[in-house]
Amino acid sequence: MLDTVREIETPEGVSLRLRAAGALPRAQAWMVDLLLRLVVLFVAMIPLALFGKGGNGLAMLLMFALLWAYSVVCEVWLDGQTLGKRALGLRVVKADGTPVTWLPSVVRNLLRAVDALPGVYGVGLASTLIDPHARRLGDIVAGTMVIHAQELPAGQQVPVLPALPLPHVLAADEQAALVEYAERAGQLTVQRQEELANLLTPLTGQRDTAAIRQLVAHANWLLGRA
Amino acid sequence: MKQERFIALHSREWDGLQSWLNALDRQPKRTLRQEQALEFPQSYRRVCHHLALARGRGYSHEVTERLQRLVQQGHRVLYRPPAPRWHRVAGFLLAGFPRLVRAQWRCMALAAALFYLPALCLVVLLQLRPELAHTLFSSAQLVQFEKMYDPANAHIGRSSGTDLQMFGYYVMNNVSIAFRTFASGLVFGVGAIYVLGANGVLIGGVAGHLTAIGYGGPFWRFVVGHSAFELSALVIAGGAGLQLGLTLLAPGRQRRGPALVAAGWVGAQLALGAFAMLLVAAFIEAYWSSIAALPDALRFGVGALLWLLVLGWLWRGGRAGTRGT
Repeated sequence: MLDTVREIETPEGVSLRLRAAGALPRAQAWMVDLLLRLVVLFVAMIPLALFGKGGNGLAMLLMFALLWAYSVVCEVWLDGQTLGKRALGLRVVKADGTPVTWLPSVVRNLLRAVDALPGVYGVGLASTLIDPHARRLGDIVAGTMVIHAQELPAGQQVPVLPALPLPHVLAADEQAALVEYAERAGQLTVQRQEELANLLTPLTGQRDTAAIRQLVAHANWLLGRA
Repeated sequence: MKQERFIALHSREWDGLQSWLNALDRQPKRTLRQEQALEFPQSYRRVCHHLALARGRGYSHEVTERLQRLVQQGHRVLYRPPAPRWHRVAGFLLAGFPRLVRAQWRCMALAAALFYLPALCLVVLLQLRPELAHTLFSSAQLVQFEKMYDPANAHIGRSSGTDLQMFGYYVMNNVSIAFRTFASGLVFGVGAIYVLGANGVLIGGVAGHLTAIGYGGPFWRFVVGHSAFELSALVIAGGAGLQLGLTLLAPGRQRRGPALVAAGWVGAQLALGAFAMLLVAAFIEAYWSSIAALPDALRFGVGALLWLLVLGWLWRGGRAGTRGT
């Protein structure tokens, strides 16, 4: 969805595009983190049981570390990703797109206590649904946001055809539309592909299957293929 | 310039930068020691320039997307946070934290009042009318408190457990309470007010009841050592929560968003300081307060000293002329 993309101008004068991550992938990442931490706790319990009551105290300290410190330490050292976020391809960044630092990470993870409040993350869910950048309350106060770390691949799935130069120069967004059409054509039904291709008959001078082939050939030319 | 020529001219640089950035993800330390690391900032800025050119000249999606990806990856590396410096922790605890507490003195005073007023009132009230204890606590709770501080116990302040076990328990329990107190302050301060008041009533109630039934000796001897750090940390965490909630209610001459972010920074630092204080408190509580054999003079002397230390630290720490700025 286009409207979750936040454009941020860097000091170099180019814009970064941050794609805000919604509640679902974040909940999945949280589940992965939860499972991982439970596994660590249970595995550690086995040797700690040998220490008797003192081991109990060590287990409490471990539980404390997993509950409060795990997310902060992971986010600061692993480039804004806890292990669950890494598995889901998410990343925490500051509002200006730079990697998250200590204090914002501490803020957002302490305020997790508020976001988690009624039942399981009721406040956090409501906040992510209302906020345009899908931030929970902790993110808003910390000045951070959770984004999709992986870039969308572009121009990879365009079928290879002999390149055909365009008869006119097209604007950048028109070129992008043409390439994206060629990329996604494979996911559409033939009828829909033809319907879309026929809109460009003034450009191609063709209809139906021939129009599709010519548009894909133009896309190949735009991508710089021979 | 034609797109093909543009790509032919620069793609070697892009590929070089891309492979260096990919290597950096895999082996950060070794890659940063390479010769290419010195080149990186210039190289990154050139690629930013290429991206702007490619956008402006309307080059195809593939080129702009490729450069965009390279720029995003490079931006993350160039603007990554500096490695944490441990000596700054000492500086913060000695100077920065007390200064921050003083800067927020209104919230701290309010938090202290919310906590100490009900506690002191209850201690006094329960001396005058001891039967009120049964309104505050259930009989099972009263039995438990009385068992913990029975003068006949060998270990005071706990029913069972070793020092290490209790240390872990105190850290987990007290720090979690302090963190939640801070966080719940975001709800217009209501959470922090509730936790402070409720803890004041609880602690005052227990102290008053035990004193009234004649178990005051073991109780006061147990709590005097760690109370300085523990109670001050609770008040500071509550004050941090209060300033967060008050900022949400009345952001002053700022928009609510930036004001909240600033208050969050302050609150996080206060919470971290409170965390350090609670670690000290838990250590004292587990390893010092529980020794039954210490003479009273030593116990109360050390307790008074610790109170003086904490209050003096919060009052004077980080003033001009003291070290650690």
